[in-house]
Amino acid sequence: MWKEVRAREEGALPPNSFASRIRSRRTSTIELSHRKEIVSPHHGAVNSLQVDSIEGRYLLSGASDGSAAAFDVQHATDHEGDCLIAKHKSLFVVDKHLEFGHKYAISSVLWYPVDTGLFVTGSLDHHVKVWDTNLTQVVVDFKMPGKVYGTAMSAIATTHMLIAAGSEDVQVRLCDIASGAFTHTLSGHRDGVMTVEWSASSEWILMTGGCDGAIRFWDIRRAGCFLVLDQSRSQLGRRPPLSSNTLSSNSLKKGPISRTITSGQYSAKGLANQRKSPLGSAMKQLPSLRKGQFLSKGSTVQRLHPGMSSGQNRATAHYGAVTGLKATGDGMYLISSGSDSRLRVWDIESGCNTLVNFEAMRLLTTKALQLAISDDSSMVFVPCMASVKLYDVWSGMVCQTFHGHYESVNCCCFNSHDQELYTGSNDRQILVWSTPYSAIFEEEDEKKKSVTDQDNWSD
Amino acid sequence: MENEEMSREGEIDAAAVVARLIEKATSSTDHEVDPRLLKAIKSAVRSSDDEVRDAVRALMDQMKKQHSQVRYLAVLIVDELFMRSKLFRSLLVVNFDQFLSLSIGFRRNLPLPPPSTIASTLRSKSIEILEKWNASFGIHYRQLRLGFDYLKNTLKFQFPNRLENATRLQQERREREIRSKQILLNKFQSLKERYSLIKDEIQSTIDEIGECIEILHAKEADESIPAEDDEVEEYRPPALQQIRLDSLKEGEKVQESTENKAVFDVLRELHRLLVSKHLPAVQEWMSVLVRVDITDKFRDTALKEFIDLRNNILSVKKKCSELGCVFDDGPVQREDEEDLWEEGKIEINVAGESSGANSSVEGSAHIVTTDNGNSSAPHASKSSDDHVLNLTPERSKLLAEAPVVTWGLFLDNWGSNRDAPANQRGLELEGHWGRVDSDAVIPAEKIAELSVHRTLYKEQPVEIQPCHAPLKKGGLCQRRDLKVCPFHGPIVPRDSEGNPIEQIPRKGLAKGEPSAHAAEVVSVLAETETDPNMDKLTVEQVFKQAVRNVRERDVDVKTSKRAKLARVREHNEAVLRDAAVTSTSYSEAFGEHNEAFHGNKTGTKTKKATLSSMLRKKITAKDRIAQRLLSTRATDASSHQLMQGEDSKYREAFPNQW
Repeated sequence: MWKEVRAREEGALPPNSFASRIRSRRTSTIELSHRKEIVSPHHGAVNSLQVDSIEGRYLLSGASDGSAAAFDVQHATDHEGDCLIAKHKSLFVVDKHLEFGHKYAISSVLWYPVDTGLFVTGSLDHHVKVWDTNLTQVVVDFKMPGKVYGTAMSAIATTHMLIAAGSEDVQVRLCDIASGAFTHTLSGHRDGVMTVEWSASSEWILMTGGCDGAIRFWDIRRAGCFLVLDQSRSQLGRRPPLSSNTLSSNSLKKGPISRTITSGQYSAKGLANQRKSPLGSAMKQLPSLRKGQFLSKGSTVQRLHPGMSSGQNRATAHYGAVTGLKATGDGMYLISSGSDSRLRVWDIESGCNTLVNFEAMRLLTTKALQLAISDDSSMVFVPCMASVKLYDVWSGMVCQTFHGHYESVNCCCFNSHDQELYTGSNDRQILVWSTPYSAIFEEEDEKKKSVTDQDNWSD
Repeated sequence: MENEEMSREGEIDAAAVVARLIEKATSSTDHEVDPRLLKAIKSAVRSSDDEVRDAVRALMDQMKKQHSQVRYLAVLIVDELFMRSKLFRSLLVVNFDQFLSLSIGFRRNLPLPPPSTIASTLRSKSIEILEKWNASFGIHYRQLRLGFDYLKNTLKFQFPNRLENATRLQQERREREIRSKQILLNKFQSLKERYSLIKDEIQSTIDEIGECIEILHAKEADESIPAEDDEVEEYRPPALQQIRLDSLKEGEKVQESTENKAVFDVLRELHRLLVSKHLPAVQEWMSVLVRVDITDKFRDTALKEFIDLRNNILSVKKKCSELGCVFDDGPVQREDEEDLWEEGKIEINVAGESSGANSSVEGSAHIVTTDNGNSSAPHASKSSDDHVLNLTPERSKLLAEAPVVTWGLFLDNWGSNRDAPANQRGLELEGHWGRVDSDAVIPAEKIAELSVHRTLYKEQPVEIQPCHAPLKKGGLCQRRDLKVCPFHGPIVPRDSEGNPIEQIPRKGLAKGEPSAHAAEVVSVLAETETDPNMDKLTVEQVFKQAVRNVRERDVDVKTSKRAKLARVREHNEAVLRDAAVTSTSYSEAFGEHNEAFHGNKTGTKTKKATLSSMLRKKITAKDRIAQRLLSTRATDASSHQLMQGEDSKYREAFPNQW
C-alpha cells in the first residue's frame, strides 16, 4: 500500500487507477465486520436492501413483516463495550401499524434515485407505495393487479420518473410518480414477473425476468418487447473490445439476430435489410451511442412484434423462473440468476449468453434474489442459501464465501463508497461485511483488546 | 507415552501430530477427555500457528463424524483451545454456523447422530459453552454474538443463563442486606426514644422481685427448725442417703403455704414477666445495638447498660431458683399429662390383669414412695408391670409358649373331652318317621375329630431386602427381588455405598462341598474348645481358604487343559504355515498379523466398550416383550383364537343353523 502511495506521489500512478486499486483490494478482503452492527428492527425476513446512490450513507431495508427501515451506515447511534462495537439503529421504521402501511410483506424497497427525500416500497399486498422520507408518510399509492415482486427506477433517467413494477400478473406496469397513474402496461410474459431492472446505459430500456424463465427487453418508447434472451444462443466468452476487430464484432453482433429473423415470416425483408446495410454504415454506427444501436435494432424488431415469430417469443433464459437480474455498472452485461441454480452473464448488445461457467451453487428458488455487483463490475455477490458467495464474473470462480447468516439470505447490497456489503436474510438480521481495520488502527486497538482477547495459555 | 509417540511422529510428519492426538482423544468412550492427552494436545497446539490451523481442521473433521460421543469429546477439546488461543478463536468463528449445527444440531435436516443420550448431553454442553464464549469473547467476535442471538431469540433455545442468574442473586442479596440494615436502623431509633422507659420498667420489676424475696426470707427462719429435728430420728440406710439429702435441700427452700401464698403469687408473676418478656427484650436490643452500623456515644453507653441489666436479670433469676420458686407452668401441666397417661395405661393393663398404677403402688408395700408424687408416678407404673410378672412366673412361662390362634367356635370347648348330646337344643322332631333318640350322645373322640382346628397357611410376611447395587446415575437400586435382581445379579448384603460386604460365600455351603463340611465341623469343635470370639475369625479364614483351594484346583485343571489344547493348535498352525507360506513377505506379514490378532483376542476376552458398541441398541425388556408378542406365530395364534371365539359365539346364538 505504501508503495502505491509513493507511486502516486511521484505521479507514476494516475489517480483513477490508484483509487480503483485500493477499492478492489478492499473489496477482496471483505469479511464479517466485528465492529459494525446494524440493529435490525424487523420481525421477519429481510427481503430487500438498498443504499442510496447519492451519498452512499443511508441504507433502506424492507422485511416480511411489512416494515421498512432506514439506517445511517456512516454514523453509529450507539456504542457498546468501550466503543468496540458501533451499533446502527434504525432512523425510522414504517410498518403495518401506520395508517397507510403495507399489510403484508414488503418484497422490494428502493430510494428515489435523485435524492433521499422519497423512497418506494413494493409489497405482497398488491400495492406500490411512494413515501416521503422525512414525514414517513405515503405520498403516492399504486394499486397493482397482483402481488408485487420487484420494483425498479432508472438511475440515469432524466426525462421520466417511472417505477417499473413486476408482479404476479403477466403484465409489467410502469408507474409515474408525477401523475400517480400507470403510463405503460407491458405485456409479453407468460407468467408473473419476478424481477425488473433498468438498463444502466439507456434510460429507455427496461429488462424484466419472469417466472416463465424469459428475460425480456423493452423499449418504453415503443410497443412490445424487442428482445427475448435465449439461453441457447451463445457467444464464447467476453466480447472482444470494439477497437480491435470491428468487422468480426459487427458480424457477431448481427449474426444471431439475422438468424432468428430468417426463421420468421419477414425473412425476405430481413435479409434484404441486412444486404442493404453496407459495411460503411456499420462502421459509422460503431462510434455512435449504444442507445442509437438499440434504436436501430428496435426498428427491425418493431415490425416483427405483433406476431413475433413464435420461436423467438418462446425463448427462455433459464429453466424455471428468473429470480434475479443485475446489470453491470457499464451497462454492457446483464447477470441473471434462475431457479435452476444457475448464474448467466448476458451480453446486452448481442443478446447472447456468454457461457461463463459459474461454480456449483444452490439458489433460493421461491423468492426474488437481489444480486450485488462490485463497482468495477468484476465481482458479483450471490446469495446462496445461508451463505453469500463472491464470484468472479469472467472466470466464474468463487473468490470467497461469507458465512454468517443462519438462514437463507435474500438480498445483498454493495456500497461502493465504503466497499461494504450488506446482506439481509430470513433470520431477520442485516449483516455488515467490510474490510477489517487496517494495521494503523490495529495497534491502537490492541491496548483495548489486550484485556480480554489474548492468548491465554495457563499450561 | 505421549511424548514418546510425539517424538516418533515428529520424525515422520510434524503436522499430523495434532491430528493424531485429537483423533486418539476423541475415540474414547469416557465422558471426559483423557487429561494427559489433552495436555499433550495443548502443548502441541501451543508450539506454532500451523499447529493451531491443523487442530481446527482436525477438530472440524471429528465434529463431522456421525457419532455423538466423538463430537462431544471434540467439543470439549475445542472449548479448551478456544478459551486459550486467539488464533484458534478467529479460525473457528469463520465457520461458526457449521460448528453450531454440528454441536447443537439446531438444523432440522441435520439432527445430532446417535447415541441419543450422549447427543442430548452434547447439546446441553454445547449450549452452555456457547453462552460462556459469548460472555467472555462475544464482544470481539460478531459470529459468536450472531449465533448466540439466533439460538436465543429466533429458535428460543433455553440457555442456562449462568451469568445473569449470578448477578441477579447478588442483587437480591444486596437488596436484602440494605433492607435489613434499614430495619435495624429503625429499631435503633425507636430504642433511642424509649430507652429510659424500658430501662425503668425492667429496673422496677427487678426491685419488686428483690422485695418479695426479702419478705419471704424473713418468714423462713421459723420454718427451718422442725426439719432439723427430723434428721436426728432418722436411721440411714446408705441407699436412702441421697434421697434424704435431696429432700433436705428441698426443705431448706421456702415452702409455699397459705400465709405467704400472696407473696409467692406476686413473685411468680414478676418472675414470669422478667423471664418471658424482659430478658428476651434486653437480648434483642443488645443484638440490635451490636449489629447496627452507627458509632455513636449513645450506642456504647446503651450497650454497656443493657449488658449490666442482663446480668442483673440473670442474677435475680438465679436467686429465685435458689429460693425454690422456679414458677414455670410446667409442673401443673405435667400433673395433667400424667393423669391422662395413667388412664391409657390402665386400659392396656386390663388384659394383663393388673389394676391401675396408683392402686398397685399403694397395695405393694415394698415400693418406696418419695415425697413427690409427680416424679414417682412413672416409676410406679413400671414397677407394677414387673410386679405382675413376678407374681405368676409359671403363667408367664406358659404365655410365652402358648400358640396364638385365631378366634373360632372350637374355642368354646377348648381342652374339654366330654361327650356332647346330639340334640343339644331339645328340638322336637315330631313326624319324623325314623327312630328318635333324644338322648343320643356324640362321643368325645368324634367331637375331637369334628373340631379339628384348621387354619389356612399364611406365609410370614418377609421383608424383601432391596438390591442396593449402585446405579450409574447415582443412588442405589431399589428393586426388591427374593434372590436375584435381574439387573445386578444375586442379592448380597451391601454397605451404604452399595459395595458388597465381604462375606463367606454361601454357595459353597449350598453345594455341600466336603471341605466346607469339614470346615464347619472344625469350627464347631473349635468353638466348643476355646474362646469362641477369637476362634471364629480364624475358623472363617480357614473356611475361606479351603473354598479357595478347591476352586483353584478346579481352575488349574481347566487352564491346563486349555493350555494343552492351545499348544496343540499352535503347533498345528505353525506346521500349516510352514507348509503354506511361500517366500513372499506379504503372506508372512499376513500370517503374523493374524497371529497377533488372535493373541489379542484371547488376551482380552472381556469386551471393552467401544464407540461402535455405544451405537448398538441395547435390548430392553420392552424389546424382548415386543419380540414375543409381535412375532408372526403369536399374532397368528391370537387371531386364530379370536376367530374361534367368534365362531363359538355365533354357534351359540344361532344353534339351528349349521
